[in-house]
Amino acid sequence: MDRRDFFVSIAAATLAATLPVTAWAQAIFAPKPGPWRAVDLVTRIEITKPQGPMQAWIPLPSLNEPEWNRPGESTWTSNAATVTRVKDPRYGAEMLHAVWKDGEAAPSLEVTSRIAMRDRAIDLSKPGTAPALGDAESRLNLAGTDLIPVDGIVKQTADKIVANARTDADKARAIYNWVVENTHRNDATRGCRTGDIDSMLRTDNISGKCADLNALYVGLARAAGIPERDVYGLRVLPSQFGYKSLGAGSANVTKAQHCRAEVHLAGFGWAPVDPADVRKVVLEEPPANLAIGDPKVVAARNALFGAWEGNWVAYNVAHDVALPGSKQPKLGFLMYPQAERASLLLDALDPDNFKYTITSKDVAA
Amino acid sequence: MGWNPRVLAGRLLGAALLDGATTGCLTIATATRAADAGLLPWDGEAGPAFALDDLAGQRRHLDEFHGKVVLVHFFATWCARCVDEMTSLQKLTVKTRGRTLVVVAIDVAEVELRVRAFFEALPVDFPVLLDRDRAVTKAWDVVSLPTTFVLEAELRSRLVTATDLDWPAPATVARLEALYPPPPPQDRTGKTRGSHGED
Repeated sequence: MDRRDFFVSIAAATLAATLPVTAWAQAIFAPKPGPWRAVDLVTRIEITKPQGPMQAWIPLPSLNEPEWNRPGESTWTSNAATVTRVKDPRYGAEMLHAVWKDGEAAPSLEVTSRIAMRDRAIDLSKPGTAPALGDAESRLNLAGTDLIPVDGIVKQTADKIVANARTDADKARAIYNWVVENTHRNDATRGCRTGDIDSMLRTDNISGKCADLNALYVGLARAAGIPERDVYGLRVLPSQFGYKSLGAGSANVTKAQHCRAEVHLAGFGWAPVDPADVRKVVLEEPPANLAIGDPKVVAARNALFGAWEGNWVAYNVAHDVALPGSKQPKLGFLMYPQAERASLLLDALDPDNFKYTITSKDVAA
Repeated sequence: MGWNPRVLAGRLLGAALLDGATTGCLTIATATRAADAGLLPWDGEAGPAFALDDLAGQRRHLDEFHGKVVLVHFFATWCARCVDEMTSLQKLTVKTRGRTLVVVAIDVAEVELRVRAFFEALPVDFPVLLDRDRAVTKAWDVVSLPTTFVLEAELRSRLVTATDLDWPAPATVARLEALYPPPPPQDRTGKTRGSHGED
């Protein structure tokens, strides 16, 4: 994109963002805090062709946010020699770590987690009294990670995007609009590809799924000096607003992983953001390949800066996660079950051969 | 010219644009010449030496390929262009068998079992190394896949491409052959000096 295109995009995005919601007619996507919903999430793994040392790590819902995400009890059954609940020391991401004895014929582990969640919506026109971030948490959420560097072209791009924005909220919204306007979801990407955002920008190949697009949003905002974080989780229920692309299609949620983002704004605290889901609506919402001005897209776009639907479970906000007991490099994020056979990591993006299943059962909140 | 990632990235992207702009409407004759169009001269330094495990678990060092023309090829199995190019590189390997050329493929941050499964289905005759944490990819400033550096016998980078190429095409092979080290000097009897001949 050249300089002219860059600013045309910014102008178009700003115009779209300032049009009243009533201009977008029929489509409704308006999450608001209301009744809680709850699910039992059952993750079952079986290590096929067992061989040598075998261990597994299953992410547990561990982001406790009293207003929208309340993890409950997790129970498990397994023939592992040891099963331990462990916590990432930097971000507090919890996981269940199972280790089987060599020669175990049919290693398996089944975890059931109860979790309650509900819609979020923050009125960004009315600052509240949310406390500021502490220094350590602020540093953590402004820093670069392995996949989300915040210097070089990321910083240069962020500076251009926010050049005319005054407040952090204005800057965050400008970046949100830029990501919505300048990226596309590449559905050929298997799973949520681990997206190095420096590479995305330098090659001008700004595509991918949530772990790419929302990582780009987070990186650009951090580079602009705004605390942001990715929130890794799983869609567990259909959308109550009728958006097929933004909800679980069935009780089998094995491939329903989705990460969202949060921006920390003075007076508001953590606010929900999800530009990747705007692009998902564009690509997938029937009849598919919608125009950016389609009412369904516009409704989602207007909502997903400041709101999201509580049909999704948050696991954690962790980056660069070391799997305890493993010699593998750190994971960019922990959103999928992981396992090793003969000390080799199995392919978490290939659940049918791994193998694992995740099912979601709607229960009374 | 020294190793300048920004300059490299700009040249590679420029080459990719040029390649895309010119290959769609060429005559057969020019298309033959265009087979190597994305292969750019590069007189910078090669990336730093590396030591990576291969698919058999053996530690492989860049230095062990000293004396040969080396294609250091960065790829991933999920990259469609990389998949096509792997076949092309294997054909090059067969075509240049016995010559002083070696392909060294470096997989970028994929699960090892996935890479193994890929090469069980598509066997190749050259080493496949695993850059598990992307450290070598970063050190060589690779931002898109596939990217291939062609090193001369002294392991200095001479050519580079950030697109998939028809490697066994005559024009491409000619570019590589131009980098072959000169044959060892021979004595007047025609025998290679220093060889273990009877005299």
